[in-house]
Amino acid sequence: MSNKVFTDATRMSDNRHESDAIVRLSGVYKRYKDFEALKDINFAVGTQEVVVIIGPSGSGKSTLIRCINRLEEHDEGRIVVDGTELSMDIRNIQEIRKETGMVFQNFNLFPHLSVLSNIAIGPRQVRNIPKAEAEALAMELLTRVKIPEQADKFPSQLSGGQQQRVAIARALAMKPKVMLFDEPTSALDPEMIGEVLDAIKELAQEGMTMVVVTHEMGFAREVADRVVFMADGEIVEVGTPSEIFDNPQEERTKKFLSQIL
Amino acid sequence: MSPLTAVSAKTPPWRDIRVLRWLFQLVVLAIVVGILYWLYSNYQVNISKSKIPTDLRFLGNPANFTFPGQEFDQSSPVRAAFVQGFYNTLRVAIAGILLSIALGTLIGMARLSKNFLVRAVSTAYVEVIRNIPLLLLLTFMNLAVVLQTFPRIEDAWKPLDLFVVSNRGIAIPWFDGSTNTLLVVIALSVVAAISVGWWRTRRSDRTGRPARSLSASLLAFIVVSVGAWMALGYSWTLPVVADRGTEGGLRLDPSFFALLVTLVIYTSSHIAEIVRGSILAVPRGQGEAADALALSHGTKMRLVILPQAFRIALPAIGNQAMNLIKNSSLGAAISYFELTQVAQITVGNGSPAVPAFTLTLVVYLCISLVTSLILNLFNRRLALVER
Amino acid sequence: MSWIRHNLFRTWWDAVLTVALGAVSVWAISSLAEFVFVTGRWEIIEVNLKLMLVGRFPEQHLWLASASVMAIAGWMAAAFGSDPRRPEDVMSMKAKLWDTTQRFGLIVLLGVTLMMLAGLQESLPVVAGIIGAIVAGRLLNLARRRMSWLKSWPGIIWHLVVVSPAVVMVSLTLLNADLELWGGFLVNFYIAIISIVLCFPLGVLLALGRKSSLPIVRLISTSYIELIRGAPLFVLLLLAGVALEFFVPPSIAPGSIFRAVTVFTLFTAAYLAEIVRGGLQSIPKGQLEAGKALGLPAWKITLMITLPQALRNVIPAQIGQFISLFKDTTLAGAALSIVEVLKVSEAITKQDDFLGKGYIYESLTFVALLFWVGSYVMSRESQRLEKKLGVGQR
Repeated sequence: MSNKVFTDATRMSDNRHESDAIVRLSGVYKRYKDFEALKDINFAVGTQEVVVIIGPSGSGKSTLIRCINRLEEHDEGRIVVDGTELSMDIRNIQEIRKETGMVFQNFNLFPHLSVLSNIAIGPRQVRNIPKAEAEALAMELLTRVKIPEQADKFPSQLSGGQQQRVAIARALAMKPKVMLFDEPTSALDPEMIGEVLDAIKELAQEGMTMVVVTHEMGFAREVADRVVFMADGEIVEVGTPSEIFDNPQEERTKKFLSQIL
Repeated sequence: MSPLTAVSAKTPPWRDIRVLRWLFQLVVLAIVVGILYWLYSNYQVNISKSKIPTDLRFLGNPANFTFPGQEFDQSSPVRAAFVQGFYNTLRVAIAGILLSIALGTLIGMARLSKNFLVRAVSTAYVEVIRNIPLLLLLTFMNLAVVLQTFPRIEDAWKPLDLFVVSNRGIAIPWFDGSTNTLLVVIALSVVAAISVGWWRTRRSDRTGRPARSLSASLLAFIVVSVGAWMALGYSWTLPVVADRGTEGGLRLDPSFFALLVTLVIYTSSHIAEIVRGSILAVPRGQGEAADALALSHGTKMRLVILPQAFRIALPAIGNQAMNLIKNSSLGAAISYFELTQVAQITVGNGSPAVPAFTLTLVVYLCISLVTSLILNLFNRRLALVER
Repeated sequence: MSWIRHNLFRTWWDAVLTVALGAVSVWAISSLAEFVFVTGRWEIIEVNLKLMLVGRFPEQHLWLASASVMAIAGWMAAAFGSDPRRPEDVMSMKAKLWDTTQRFGLIVLLGVTLMMLAGLQESLPVVAGIIGAIVAGRLLNLARRRMSWLKSWPGIIWHLVVVSPAVVMVSLTLLNADLELWGGFLVNFYIAIISIVLCFPLGVLLALGRKSSLPIVRLISTSYIELIRGAPLFVLLLLAGVALEFFVPPSIAPGSIFRAVTVFTLFTAAYLAEIVRGGLQSIPKGQLEAGKALGLPAWKITLMITLPQALRNVIPAQIGQFISLFKDTTLAGAALSIVEVLKVSEAITKQDDFLGKGYIYESLTFVALLFWVGSYVMSRESQRLEKKLGVGQR
């Protein structure tokens, strides 16, 4: 019905080749009992591409991103990350989780571990890197997100913005190929959103492949290579930031943008 | 470019998550079954050596013991003794639960009183009782109070000339007639009370006039019960000292009395804490909203605070009720012939131990199951509908 | 004056209550005081103190029992409170002294009472040893917090090292002294401690099983927990008393304490499982997801993230369970004829010197005091911990 160009997000930004896709979803469906959370999702992300997903709540954006690292199980279709297909194979799942890093809306830091241990636990326990090396890496990442002095503190002693930056460092410690952000600033007080968005922007500039679900339109405009608009479980429209924000084609997109801009 | 269905044919089974899950469960099941089988085979080996029967045939044997203070023919089968024991357990359990809830609620609310002395005394009560083992309390009540302090029958205390208190038990005035009919009368009165209350509330909803349904219900209850009483020609009997016992009235066996009082004191202290906690758990805003609506203190408690507190408290109070039932098994320690004591006595008389005690356990489990089902039903009816 | 009026005599009903309760309280307290200090005939306790505390424990090994008590006291002093201090937790010396008095004053009073009953000469070395162990423990605790080379030891290693003297002493005591001769309060204490330690692995496994998504595992755990929780402890003890030997291979002849510990362990495991399950449920699901997203395998997530937090969160409830267990050890005497303290207290009233003279009051009051002080102090500590843990969470 709709123009295939807009519902099929497998076309990458102009200077990418299709086979460069590091994440590819084909014909993905996800159903909960009698409710379809994802319908015929066709979506690809190229290396070093930043894709921002926007849409109303309940549109399936979080579900989509959580399917990529198997926090949710898709019912139909294929998901391939960095050449490995996501299936019931436990080895595949582990591989994909190592190569994807996720930052959650509620930070989900481990409260009983220090900030440094939070960041180091991934490399130490999953990549079997020795303790000293892992902690050095953790310090380096903490410095990168600009809070090296918090290393020995516990998450409950940090502000929300600092906690989220620690969460970003924790995900980066695994040296992932793709970073997934699930509404990273939605749980933050307004004055702290900026510092987290800055950290994410820096990551984008350094060339990290990212899929970001967010409500921060300014951020999307600045950083995204492509913007995907989702509603009711399907991809409604895809385009560059200027295409989507300045010249939306679909009705649902126009309605959504008018409500929030 | 790619097929649209999930490809799972390539996954080798030893890495497939679904296979691994089931494999794990089967392993656990195998271990548990293995342990149970080991226990069972040990049991078989040992039993065959000792030639003790393992079935329930012993239930048909004559009991060869009597129940102190109750009529029970020695030659009745063991199964009848178990039934009598079960009945005794129910007696102390029901009386205990009702009294504990009543006393516990009172003390719980007393702990929140604005009167310093009331608060202090109730707190002392709770703090002292909660930290003493139940068996110690029971032993104290039995040995120190009932058997030691209570006088011998010749010098029995006669408070108010209505009761006779001695180390043979406590005799209270009781009515002269069949208990079953009395229960029917009580049931009828309760039905009458509820109907009247409901009718008054409906009328008040329609006309706006104060319902006073509580007073009306109470009145209905009294009218129906007293009316039935007189119609049936029941009368009271007062206990008097006669020979080495009492005549008339109802004599509460000393061990029954000791067990009941101990259970009530112990359980009420726990219920008091639950009641206090549940009233405190009602969000402060509720009381503030009620005050803002100019509700009187009594109405506020009755319509806003207590219903919510009750919802919070119900599971915990139900738990205490089940604890009381289980704790009644300690009656065996003071020779009150409830279920456990019956089991112990028959085993002493030669019944096979494992089947007898297992049967006892099964009975308690059934009581617990039934009680918790009833509680769950209550809980579900009362639960606030959540979004 | 106005305080009195406001709190005691606000309404006429209030006044009635105050007068009535006041009279009752005065009577109760004065009768109790009279009983304790004047009319009570405490010789029965003095004479039988050793019996009540340790039963017929062989004299030559008594030092082992005292040593294990000292080791346990030292361990508790060293192990608890070794979390990093936050600036707002540090108290002035005076405040700390007052706080310690509040917490342990009752125990000290009990100790003094016991010393008076036992005679200074006998009890002084034991008391000095216990105080010494506690001081040593606190010093270790301080060292752990101040000295960086000690601080760097991972928590598990530190706790294992600190608890090892206690474990060694307890094991030595168990192995050397003939179990059949044990009695008194020591038995209650040992049964409780051994049962709670042994029931931990089973309880945690049951809790994990009950929360598992695998149906068979969940069924097995739930069945066990519900069956045990529906059964009265007393009946289980009676059953074990006559039936345990049928379920073990013929070569093992289980003694009474073995039976008691078996039942208490299996029993407490079910209740502990419910407590731990509550703790597991209190962990936000997001942490599980974060662990998964990092690629941690499920068992590592449980072991390193979920369980440590869950167990720590329900420490107050675990202490409560231990207190219940401690009080329930009295049932072992009634069901299995183990000569624990309650049984002893009844038995000594039948001794020749004391028969038939109503010594049961003194005897039971003493035992009540022992249990009451122990329970009360432990539950106060757990309330304190509850407050501390609650504050720590954001």
